[in-house]
Amino acid sequence: MNRHAYPSSGLSPTDSPQSPKTFFGNGGGRRVPTMGESGRGFHIRPDKYDDKYKPSSKRTMWQRRRKSLLRLGGMLTGVFCILMLIFPSLRPAALFSALSLFTLGGGEEFNIETVRYYDLSNVGGTSRGWEREERILLCAPLRDAAPHLPMFFSHLRNLTYPHNLIDLAFLVGDSKDDTAELLSDLLAQLQAAENVKETFGEISVLEKDFGQVVNQDVESRHGFAAQAGRRKSMAQARNWLLSAALRPTHSWVYWRDVDVETAPFTILEDLMRHNKDVIVPNVWRPLPEWLGGEQPYDLNSWQESETALALADTLDEDAVIVEGYAEYATWRPHLAYLRDPYGDPDMEMEIDGVGGVSILAKAKVFRSGVHFPAFSFEKHAETEGFGKMAKRMSFSVVGLPHYTIWHLYEPSYEDIRHMEELEQERAAQEAAEQQRRERTERIQQDFDTGASSQFEKDKAAMREAVRKMKEVRGRSHPDEGWAEDERFRGQREETRRKGEEEEGTKKEEERAAAQKVEELPKAPVVEEVAKKIAADVEQKAQVEAKPEAAKPKPDVAKGAALEPPSPPEKSSEVKLQRDADGKAHLEDPLGEIKELGGDSAAAVAEGVRRQEVKMQEAAQRAAAGGGGKS
Amino acid sequence: MAISRPVRRNSTITYVLAAILCIFFLYFFFADSTSLPSLPFAPRQLYHTKQAAQNALSPPSLPFIKPTKLGPDEIAPPPPVVHYRMNNVTTSSTPIENRETILILTPLARFYDSYWENLCKLTYPHDLISLGFIIPKGREGNLATQQLQDRIQKTQHPSNKDRFASITILRQDTEPIIPQAEHDRHALVVQKERRAAMSRARNSLLFTTLGPTTSWVLWLDSDIVETPPSLLQDLASHNKPIIVPNCFQRYYNKEEEEWSTRPYDFNSWQDSPTAQGLAEQMGPDEILLEGYAEMATYRSLMAYMADTTADPRAEVDLDGVGGTALLVKAEVHRDGAMFPPFPFYHLIETEGFAKMASRLGWRSFGLPNYFVYHYNE
Repeated sequence: MNRHAYPSSGLSPTDSPQSPKTFFGNGGGRRVPTMGESGRGFHIRPDKYDDKYKPSSKRTMWQRRRKSLLRLGGMLTGVFCILMLIFPSLRPAALFSALSLFTLGGGEEFNIETVRYYDLSNVGGTSRGWEREERILLCAPLRDAAPHLPMFFSHLRNLTYPHNLIDLAFLVGDSKDDTAELLSDLLAQLQAAENVKETFGEISVLEKDFGQVVNQDVESRHGFAAQAGRRKSMAQARNWLLSAALRPTHSWVYWRDVDVETAPFTILEDLMRHNKDVIVPNVWRPLPEWLGGEQPYDLNSWQESETALALADTLDEDAVIVEGYAEYATWRPHLAYLRDPYGDPDMEMEIDGVGGVSILAKAKVFRSGVHFPAFSFEKHAETEGFGKMAKRMSFSVVGLPHYTIWHLYEPSYEDIRHMEELEQERAAQEAAEQQRRERTERIQQDFDTGASSQFEKDKAAMREAVRKMKEVRGRSHPDEGWAEDERFRGQREETRRKGEEEEGTKKEEERAAAQKVEELPKAPVVEEVAKKIAADVEQKAQVEAKPEAAKPKPDVAKGAALEPPSPPEKSSEVKLQRDADGKAHLEDPLGEIKELGGDSAAAVAEGVRRQEVKMQEAAQRAAAGGGGKS
Repeated sequence: MAISRPVRRNSTITYVLAAILCIFFLYFFFADSTSLPSLPFAPRQLYHTKQAAQNALSPPSLPFIKPTKLGPDEIAPPPPVVHYRMNNVTTSSTPIENRETILILTPLARFYDSYWENLCKLTYPHDLISLGFIIPKGREGNLATQQLQDRIQKTQHPSNKDRFASITILRQDTEPIIPQAEHDRHALVVQKERRAAMSRARNSLLFTTLGPTTSWVLWLDSDIVETPPSLLQDLASHNKPIIVPNCFQRYYNKEEEEWSTRPYDFNSWQDSPTAQGLAEQMGPDEILLEGYAEMATYRSLMAYMADTTADPRAEVDLDGVGGTALLVKAEVHRDGAMFPPFPFYHLIETEGFAKMASRLGWRSFGLPNYFVYHYNE
């Protein structure tokens, strides 16, 4: 628009009538010419002042030069400006920034806010923080954590708590891998998300090396001697992180280890809902099947015990009790061991020491001074000391035994050792089994001969009875082929009757024939009868064979129930069969007595021993599990 | 008319130039922002001590750039990822040369103009000083807040070249403890409660305002009305983790009819075997206090070591420190040394702080011949 306005000559006519006035005003009123346009006037009429004001001619000379210089400069500037308009690449950046600095220079001070006002009673923390827009500070101390970072960031993205209310703070220190670089890349990605709802609040990365000599590898990390020192340096890192990242706007602080493998997306809300000052979930870790499937991980959440208090009194001022080591048997109830997979996840338990894998605490706890003691506070350091100190300031510290998150499983030094232990245990168990078997055999040989021989005798008698019965009734079981038997009985009777009749007629015939025996040959008749009898016997045998083939497997219970009143020897036979099957031993009073003398006692002993082995196993696993906790 | 011609021609050229210039300026002012050279996207931001932060969520020890007003459908951009190189935060005997930032923390119960004036007189560069106040709830607190804000408005006005880097005002979340009537009988109990509440206030102030760029923390009570203007440099030049000057009080001596000074803060002391013996016999929740006749500790008090003629740079070891004026390296606090609101080795508040710092391996020192002065009611 301005560009169009410029060539229009409308401006000059309106201005031109005024120009002479100014000229006359300058030239006529004051005799000394002042500036630019009046200069030409002198040139036109030099004679008028020439003799009177000599110095003025000098000034005129100078002014003339100056005027032409000005004009030249102006033209150059104009050309340059036009060129800059047309070619933006010609614009000098320095000029631009100088210009903007000149124009905004005064306002910069005004754009900076130096005073902040906060009312801490607004950030006390409530059970429904997401509705009241309560800010959470999520703290994660990192060291050589690069392999776990992608997993951790996926957890972050999955959190259901409004992301803009979550401030992230990381402390990266003494890392030998590329933790810091990877972290800043991942964070930049996180904050550059398209969806604004996915971006987080303030993100601070604190880089601080403490120059710790303790290695982070599993072996040195979990050695008992290194524990106290390690815990203290961890505590120091946590305190640095917290003190630099906690703001007056925070209502909650959530501590989370990067190597958590599985956790509910709603964990923040779930823990917050309890409205406790300090709250921790149960932390387990999955294990390969051959190691037992799962294992309690975080043994730092516990309830104080009398034993531990007594132990603490005996220790040196700087000593630190660490859980999970045989050196300090504290007999404390651990949150981890109280887990019931089907228990109520909202169940709470008062605890005194807390584990650091996942802690949700109200910010006021930290504001009032509770921190992670990097010294021996009541004989504890770091997170356990934190729990103790929170208790000391009468904050509520609870754990959720049935709300579980899962720590990453890494086959650690402990596990390898544990595996070896398990192997040894199994070998020992087998050896013990072998020994036991040999012993029972020996015992039986030495002391149980009378009973067993009696048993053998009885068994032989029973077998004999069965054999007899088979001979008599043609079957080994009283129940078998009953119906067929009934059906064929009539047939047999008939056959018998027929046979008798035939015999009768035969006898009569014989008698008659005997009368004329001299004249008739006997042999064909006898042969015929013999054949008939043979056929009869054959038929009978077939009939018997059929039910024998269809005989069902001896169903003991059914047999016993359906059994019609039968001779006593049959009943005892049935029970013996049961014995042979290895079932329902105790139904037979005789058998029971026998077993108590032999097998049964061994079985009871076996059960007791198994129980013992199980308990030992559990205890060992507990000890190893303690070692597994970092 | 012949005269007007050259003038007219002249003025045309001037107008042409002016118009070109106008176009030039207007072009740049109203030009599309996309044509402006945009700053390269920097995912990693490094903060220097003096820089203003990008948004209000930043550490309170830093000033921040006011957020730009957003349109109805505009959404504020997410806060940037900020890296703080805490390895570069130094605490040295030459703090000004190293541009070390100092956080002055004051639990403010009552506002004294002389306190503020003294504060403004400090010669340490004000752009390296951040202030933090915590004010209790209630009527007195409201009054103090108002008075403070009035003074801040003048001091922190953008036109003031000597304004402080930032000021944070916190209002306490707990009710102040009302002094009880039977003061004498429960003096010890009240004292313990009062100091426990004071500890909580101090800790709240400390842990929310201590930024990642802070080098030193100066605890200065609101009733310290006179200090040497070079207080910060003088104390820091000793380069001690915890250092405390001697706190005295000016008063009018009626007998000698002249202004005189007397010791005020008795919480800076060296421990004595008597006090340790007393502590051993105490229950876990009892505390040792200075200045009570029923509890004679026989500790060596720094207040009585003062010698106005001796070297003001003389140092003494201390086991307990007072909080009226106390310079602490930020790393001491970062390691976890705080003001225990519970009996810690039978000590509480600032005395407990010295004990906790010593448990963390930081020693405390006093300057018996270097004075700051307490308000005289």
